[in-house]
Amino acid sequence: MWRFLGTRIAMGAFTIWITTILVTLLIHAVPGDPVQIMYAQSQGTTPEQIEEVRRSLGLDRPIPVQYVMYMERLLQGDLGATIRGGQPVLEVILQRLPNTLLLACAAMFIAIVIGVPIGFLAAYREGTLTDIALMIVAIAGISMPHFWLGLMLLFFFALELGWLPVSGNGWLNLILPALTLGLSNAAIFARLTRSSMIDVMSQDYVQTAFAKGLPKALVLRRHVLRAGLLPVVTMMGLQFAFMMGGAIVVENIFSWNGVGRMAVEAIFQRDYPIIQGFILTFSVVVVCVAIAIDALYAVLDPRIRRS
Amino acid sequence: MTFFHTNLRRLAGATALAAGLASSATADDIVWARYGDIDSLDPHRATSTLSLQVWSLLYDTLLATDADGLPVPHFAKSWESNTDGTEYTFNLQDGVMCHDGTPLDANDVKYTIDTAFSEDTPSLTKGSWGPITAAEVVDPLTIKLTLETPFVALIPFLADSFSSIICDSNGEGFGTTSAIGSGPWKLVSWTKGDRIVLEKNPDYQNFGKLAENPGAPHEDGLIIAVVPEPQARLAALTTGEVHIAEPPFDDVPMIKDEGELSIIVAENTGQNVFWEFAVHRPPFNDVRARLAVAHATDAATAISLIYGDLSIQENCPVSRGVFGNDQDFCAQYRPAYDPEKSKELLAELGYSMDNPLETALLVWTGGNRQKLGEVFQAQLAEVGIKASIEIMDIGSLNARVRQENENTEGTTGSMDMMTWSWYDPDILYALWHTPGAYRGYTSPELDAMLDETRVLTDPEARKAKVQEVFKYLLENAIHVPLYTPGWEWVFAVRPEVEGFFVAPFVYPNFSDVKLGG
Repeated sequence: MWRFLGTRIAMGAFTIWITTILVTLLIHAVPGDPVQIMYAQSQGTTPEQIEEVRRSLGLDRPIPVQYVMYMERLLQGDLGATIRGGQPVLEVILQRLPNTLLLACAAMFIAIVIGVPIGFLAAYREGTLTDIALMIVAIAGISMPHFWLGLMLLFFFALELGWLPVSGNGWLNLILPALTLGLSNAAIFARLTRSSMIDVMSQDYVQTAFAKGLPKALVLRRHVLRAGLLPVVTMMGLQFAFMMGGAIVVENIFSWNGVGRMAVEAIFQRDYPIIQGFILTFSVVVVCVAIAIDALYAVLDPRIRRS
Repeated sequence: MTFFHTNLRRLAGATALAAGLASSATADDIVWARYGDIDSLDPHRATSTLSLQVWSLLYDTLLATDADGLPVPHFAKSWESNTDGTEYTFNLQDGVMCHDGTPLDANDVKYTIDTAFSEDTPSLTKGSWGPITAAEVVDPLTIKLTLETPFVALIPFLADSFSSIICDSNGEGFGTTSAIGSGPWKLVSWTKGDRIVLEKNPDYQNFGKLAENPGAPHEDGLIIAVVPEPQARLAALTTGEVHIAEPPFDDVPMIKDEGELSIIVAENTGQNVFWEFAVHRPPFNDVRARLAVAHATDAATAISLIYGDLSIQENCPVSRGVFGNDQDFCAQYRPAYDPEKSKELLAELGYSMDNPLETALLVWTGGNRQKLGEVFQAQLAEVGIKASIEIMDIGSLNARVRQENENTEGTTGSMDMMTWSWYDPDILYALWHTPGAYRGYTSPELDAMLDETRVLTDPEARKAKVQEVFKYLLENAIHVPLYTPGWEWVFAVRPEVEGFFVAPFVYPNFSDVKLGG
């Protein structure tokens, strides 16, 4: 078990290291440099001055040198300062990361609480009208873009009913973005739970249980549920990363002050240190979640531990 | 989808009205929502309109701008310069206080200028201050600036919030957690990406700013919130969470019809949207090709189609509200809409409807500019110019335009709908004086004219020179003006808000605002 986890952690660290290299390369592949863009809408500056600013930010150095400088600072816990405004990147990210994690966790909770029971019910009633109806709803849920669902929820709950605020960062403000993100993911979990349950039900040991004449509900609870939920647990890890990504759109609609929105702004403004910091933080979060999921998986399925 | 939205919102609006929903903001706080946040509270660390608008609330400037966009006295009650324009002396108002209770005087002005020119971290707009060599405190109420060479754009600069006076008592945390100025509003807090909370400065004295109010703002607080999604801003306006915000463009006619929210359009914004071309390769290295585009463009029709009466055609390379702008003067030289003339020019160059002139047409995303681009594309197609539209964010656009200018190979043209805003015609120096912001068109004779626009201290003489530059740019179709304003200039305002207005160069003012009803 510990060896298994150790390997996973080492692989995670390697992934993060690769990320730092890719991040440095990718940004330089995008046209436009940050200093030029800082001056985009207001001029009166000389080209020499632009060069001076570029030098003071180290952007005139060769890319490998910039990378080494970045890694040196990174190892000291310094992610640099934002190009626009000159604030410490770590501070800017840490101020907003909890908001995004909170949103993703709330959405995950909604997705599981709604998605898994629906999937289970559909599997239980496989082939019936209930199954078909639930799966149609699920397909609709998966197909619905976040921005559309978000705006619909906003118009209905905030405008028409006036129950919830339109924008901001309080607890009441969390409900709509979490629902938006959670509902479409609930659909994914519903479909996955259903197919996984049905798959397990066709296994020999389950068929044997049925053959022994056990009631369907008992077989499902005792033999199918735990095995059937394993793929769902794996999916949780993947979906968490998707949710952090999907949060970008949702954060915009509901003015939720998370890292996703910050990243989009930073990309438009070519604020290199923020983009690097964001992708790095994102990959650290995803890797940590993946390791946690692997550990959970190992607890749930003894076969993993032994392999 | 739009149909559904619109109808759902109409229904929602009606429900909200019927229920008589009360404003959810604190009674004495004005809430203003914008699509984005400031970069810094330090006026030397950013250049965005979003930042400038906030600085104008926190800080004072030596001069202010009148309704026509001209500089007038403010914290400096008068000023004089020597005959060659290399020395300026400003006499300052007595009794002005910084937000921390220390007096605002010549030492603060010197502190601001010294910081702007600091060796380690110069201001991002250091160049706009001009060639200042010394700022000398003659006495607490007199400051003298010495310049290496004359620089007439200094005076309008001192009326703009780029030159906000920073109190010398600012220290640790300045720009992020603190900002001590002397403006009508004091900083309470800034949560980056979310909101800026301000409270009124009870000691404020207004000497030259456009507000009628001579002292402290009427309302106690002002919250500047970030709401990126236009539909969410409109929803928040409808529920009363927000008092003032930029509405979604396509909904402006509906808002006007419904009549609950009022629409305020900023005037004298200085914003200029124009055609420019990649001039170092065919076809736009030939003035006839550029003129053909200019003659084929019916800006007035296109604008009224897309923006209705929210924007207007602009004839000059610097827009209304900026020194030197004169519609009648520019109309004489701006290539008029004349498709026949355009076809003739294209024929001279060997193009025809079967052999069209091909060009890329680069457009900045947002603000319905892509739709406007399509209208222009159709107009160009009528004379035999085949333009393929490429839409990109402003950062990519700036980089791409420069790249296109540096590319001298090939025969496919590149033109773009560029957007600029500045408080002085000195912007033309940045754009068209060698080497040029985008490495575009330059010439020795244009350089000479532009050099003179910086040093002529007599306003009439300078105006004549600036207009000579206009004439050159228009006749050679280097900078073909299309319309003004172009971005972030429309405000939707709730009915209980009284006294809100937008000063020239898009500075919203809240000193006169009262939340009634």
